[in-house]
Amino acid sequence: MRTPTPRTIRRRLLALTVASATVLAVAACGSDDSDPAGSVGDTRTVEHARGKTAVPDKPTRVVVLEPVQLDTAIALEMTPVGAAVLNEAAGVPKYLGDKAAGITTVGTVQEPNVQKIAALKPDLIIGTESRHSALYDQLTDVAPTVFIASQADPWQDNVRFTATTLGGADSADKLLAGFQQRCADIAKKFGTAGKTAQLIRPRDGVLTLYGPTSFAGSALECVGFTTPERDWENSISVDVSPERVLEAKADHVFVTTVDVNDRSTIPASVTANAAAFPRLHLVDQSFWITGVGTVGGQAVLDDLERILTASS
Amino acid sequence: MTATTPARAVRPTTGRTARRRTTWRWLVGAVVVLVGSLVLSVFVGANPVPPADVWAALRGAGSDTAQYVVWGQRLPRTLAGLLVGAGLGVAGALMQAFTRNALAEPGILGVNAGAAAFVAAGIAFFGITSPAGYMWLALLGALLVAVAVYAVGGAADLRATPTRLLVTGVATGAVLAGVTTGITLTHPDTFDRMRGWNAGSLLERDTAVVLPVLPLIVAGLLAALVAARSLNALALGPDLAAAQGVSLVRTRLLVLGAVTLLAGGASAIAGPISFVGLVVPHLVRWGVGTDQRRILAGSLLAGGMLVLLADVLGRIAVLPSEMPVGIVTAFVGAPMLIALARRRRATAL
Repeated sequence: MRTPTPRTIRRRLLALTVASATVLAVAACGSDDSDPAGSVGDTRTVEHARGKTAVPDKPTRVVVLEPVQLDTAIALEMTPVGAAVLNEAAGVPKYLGDKAAGITTVGTVQEPNVQKIAALKPDLIIGTESRHSALYDQLTDVAPTVFIASQADPWQDNVRFTATTLGGADSADKLLAGFQQRCADIAKKFGTAGKTAQLIRPRDGVLTLYGPTSFAGSALECVGFTTPERDWENSISVDVSPERVLEAKADHVFVTTVDVNDRSTIPASVTANAAAFPRLHLVDQSFWITGVGTVGGQAVLDDLERILTASS
Repeated sequence: MTATTPARAVRPTTGRTARRRTTWRWLVGAVVVLVGSLVLSVFVGANPVPPADVWAALRGAGSDTAQYVVWGQRLPRTLAGLLVGAGLGVAGALMQAFTRNALAEPGILGVNAGAAAFVAAGIAFFGITSPAGYMWLALLGALLVAVAVYAVGGAADLRATPTRLLVTGVATGAVLAGVTTGITLTHPDTFDRMRGWNAGSLLERDTAVVLPVLPLIVAGLLAALVAARSLNALALGPDLAAAQGVSLVRTRLLVLGAVTLLAGGASAIAGPISFVGLVVPHLVRWGVGTDQRRILAGSLLAGGMLVLLADVLGRIAVLPSEMPVGIVTAFVGAPMLIALARRRRATAL
């Protein structure tokens, strides 16, 4: 390496000083400003998993960190400016439609990127205590932040909370009531009462069976199916060995996949027992598993209606 | 290491016969335990099928559940475990003898890293999702990377020491591991699928996965058998071995060919399974001494035994689910290796 001349040293020192000054200035912006979003409009107080927070009455630049929050914002036609997604390469889920396609992604649901969030200059951030707890202080420096307690809570509760925070509580009630009504219609149309249904997600060689408290499992119950009895271990799902594949037997068995037209994505243990699974349906995991919310819920009901029409 | 030769020469004849007797006792014991492991692997699993039903299913009768559990799950999986264990055990013994390094393991030549990189690329760019698809990708990756490493590392060049080969292998492995990480980090779906493969598992390894690999592992075992005698001579150092008429190039190519087929085949079936290739030869040397033929035979038996027992343990560890065998071998293998390392004689090559 060359010995640095006094001039290059001076230049480097200057660069260093400028850099430190910038950092200090940015830090100052974050801590001094008691009303970081700079919203001049009215505020409401929202009570949430981290206490009480004043949020803008009509937020216009919202960032959401959880799929159910994104789904709800889209359902309320309040398209967020940014969203954390499960899969950065895939981006915002396609089932949410064209309106959602332009949303900027701000890292993954597991690891949202605070810098990307800050760059969007949001006036409201919604996240999840059970996932983003450690980021709360950083996020509040960017904009008023409210958290739902856990993504594992009943999804309708999380839809209602998100809608209330966004100022659309009434619309959310209508959406949820509409979902229930459509379930009842499907149950009546196809006479599902007394029939069983089981959702399977093949994962790492084992089979994840989804129970009645999961998103799609509750949708199956909502349209009148019963989930076969088992010990759900207080969880939304239970993993079972392929040796126990026959425990997943039901009148209708749904297997999630990334490509519903690729029958090779059905696990070998299910294919080998084809006779035990006469009504087997491949379904898209992007909304059956991760499409938590009313938009995803309606997509699941669309799928169910199509499948039940075809198999009846 | 070289100290073993004079020590053996001075040892009285009675000692040698005693040693031989212990060896035989050890080998017979290993065969018995291996047969026991095979039986356990067929009779024990995540589905508590009563032994009588398993027995009935084996004879072609019994309930549908028992039939499927035995013929569709446990038998193919037992064959897979046996092949993987035997392959890794023998490959590990060959690597340790060839490099005369107690820390060498089959993956050190970059074979596992090559398999993983090809599987990751296949999932990310070609949408391959079936275990049989992973098997072909892993096999191709393992073989191509091994050939590349041998070419660059001078496998057939007598002036090149095994160290040059190892450094090439380790470096290639590191680069490929980086490629795999890069692919999985930018493709979370691939990350999800790779997680299952990376743990090393015998789940869903049916005959479509196992049978194509079977001839390769058998060929690898035969090559190991042929190389065994020369490896004994090689243990005395390359000069003495050459003086005894051992062809160094031939031995080297045989050993490398065998390791590639065995480790590559094992990886292709189960994904990377840690510790088996490392710990089994140590375990065996402790029992049978320094003769490579006995070490290889012992590693074949002990490798199969270890993988089968670990797999049985994994099947009942987290009921009603299963734990991948690779996680169990890591849990069991690491303490075993430490215990063996603390007995000095055991680890001597």
